[in-house]
Amino acid sequence: MMVWLGAGLLGLMALSIPVGVVLFLLGFGVSTFFSPFPLMRGLGQIVWSSSSAATLIAIPFFVLLGEILVRSGVAARTYGALDKWVSWLPGGLIHANIATATLFSATSGSSVATAATVATVATPQGVRLGYDPRLFCGSIAAGGTLGVMIPPSINLIVYGFLTETSIPQLFLAGLLPGLLLALMFMGVTAALCAAWPALGGPRLGASWGARLAGLVHLAPILALFGVIVGTIYAGVATPTEAAAVGVAVALMIAAANGALSLGVLRDSLLGAVRVTAMIMLVVMGAYFLNFTLAAAGLGRQLQTLMDGLGLSPMGTLLVVIALYIVLGFFIETLSLMVATIPIVVPIIVAAGFDKVWFGILMIVLIEMALITPPVGLNLYVVQGARGRGRIGEVMIGAAPYAAAMLAMVALLIAAPQLALFLPRML
Amino acid sequence: MATPEARIVAALRRANEGVAIGVGVALLGACAYTLADVIGRPLGLAPGGNEEIAGYVMAGATSWGMAYGLLALAHVRIDFVRMRAARPGRAALDLLAMLALTATTLLIAAHAWPVVAKTLANDSRANTALETPLWIPQMVWWTGWLWFAACAAILTLSAIAAMLRRDLAGADAMIGARDETGGEAGAENGETP
Repeated sequence: MMVWLGAGLLGLMALSIPVGVVLFLLGFGVSTFFSPFPLMRGLGQIVWSSSSAATLIAIPFFVLLGEILVRSGVAARTYGALDKWVSWLPGGLIHANIATATLFSATSGSSVATAATVATVATPQGVRLGYDPRLFCGSIAAGGTLGVMIPPSINLIVYGFLTETSIPQLFLAGLLPGLLLALMFMGVTAALCAAWPALGGPRLGASWGARLAGLVHLAPILALFGVIVGTIYAGVATPTEAAAVGVAVALMIAAANGALSLGVLRDSLLGAVRVTAMIMLVVMGAYFLNFTLAAAGLGRQLQTLMDGLGLSPMGTLLVVIALYIVLGFFIETLSLMVATIPIVVPIIVAAGFDKVWFGILMIVLIEMALITPPVGLNLYVVQGARGRGRIGEVMIGAAPYAAAMLAMVALLIAAPQLALFLPRML
Repeated sequence: MATPEARIVAALRRANEGVAIGVGVALLGACAYTLADVIGRPLGLAPGGNEEIAGYVMAGATSWGMAYGLLALAHVRIDFVRMRAARPGRAALDLLAMLALTATTLLIAAHAWPVVAKTLANDSRANTALETPLWIPQMVWWTGWLWFAACAAILTLSAIAAMLRRDLAGADAMIGARDETGGEAGAENGETP
């Protein structure tokens, strides 16, 4: 069954059948060929119960929040304010790219929205000041991936839902590694630009007066982050409730910036519905496949397989990591995550690893998939937003950051506490 | 001059945009209700049950939003092989993808009905303080799947009509693959090595 499943998954996806449909088809197949009793009768009930989950409405809420924020003009102000704080470092504005992406990630759950927004704001500055486009664009693509790690993260909601892991715990677990990764990105930039100044551009100083004045522009986005993460952490609100509060605050920010109109609201709603439909088809497919696999006795088969292979838990983990890196070159990220969860997470849990910790590790690998060619969504988003030069420049520029992510994977394996420290405090 | 099938798809697209705005407004409603619940809780004025309401809205929003996602070409397809194929090969893959999707949605719509039928027969209510008659949210949810299946079938037939006319560009506009940024996915957009 394992071989059939792997071949079916990759084969049908390669035929460019929509990923959500592929998962349903595999579920139908498992039900027909590998189950002692017909599982199709459960299809309706599974689709109902997997879509009528209150947890999942956090997804459209967070997408909506991001859509509103992107259109609210807050990105340009944030960029301007952060630029004054970090652009004295070797690498100059590149640090502002990373810092803005980090802050934006902390409010929007989507990496694409983050990368597109920062690219739109930053590119004109970079061109004007004569920055080398490679590292400049690579930093935006990489910074954007923090959106799936730093809470709130839609990917973590989906992971939590499919693996029955606490979403507040996952959110807290993502916080430290996400911030650390941002710092590592800045460290890589500073090191590269100190060694080869031509990779960057002019370093920009700013007076302390200007820096302090800029803080005003950071206040709304920091407040938004504080409200979302604070209410979840304090136990006042579920992630869904925090998301609803976040939408209200984002609407207020947009209104305060004079950017709220019926047109903006309409576009934001349409964007939220489109992204939600896209995510939910895949999530429901994975949920159904999960159900059929459990009923067909995947757990027992996996145990046999693992015993047969004789791999140590660490060996298993390394195989899984290698699998994600390879698949990450070719498969779009959320699909990669959702399609593999029904098979990979039971293996990892059976090998004795923590589900929360593995969720964070998986997210780092997913982030890497976002910036590795040929199918690295963020590379294309940045290229599309800047509208000049070659995509190859973005790909090369993203490579040092992909290396930083690999280092993060190693760090998480060496020190699981990095992810588990905060949730254990809860 | 637009072909009849292109006009049908354009109309379907307009209809689904209207539906999607309706879905969006329903989501905003659920958001407002949740907000009222959160703010009202310390004051003792919370209406309660936001989780339950949110669940129903999510089920309806999911099923009714699907067709909009389909017509906006938002459902993720791995086009690694597709973008390397020649135009006729690409059209064949698009058609295969649509046939698989249409068959799956028809199957789901058919299997979703017994869920509603059973609720109706037992007059089931939610096991919560609100005691919602479950047939109401389930009926909204099931009709959404019917709508999705119908839209998928019409879209598939329209694409077949376009292909029979050898109008591959027209068929591509209906059921081709786009990336999340709204552009044509992959190589066609620019330079991939």
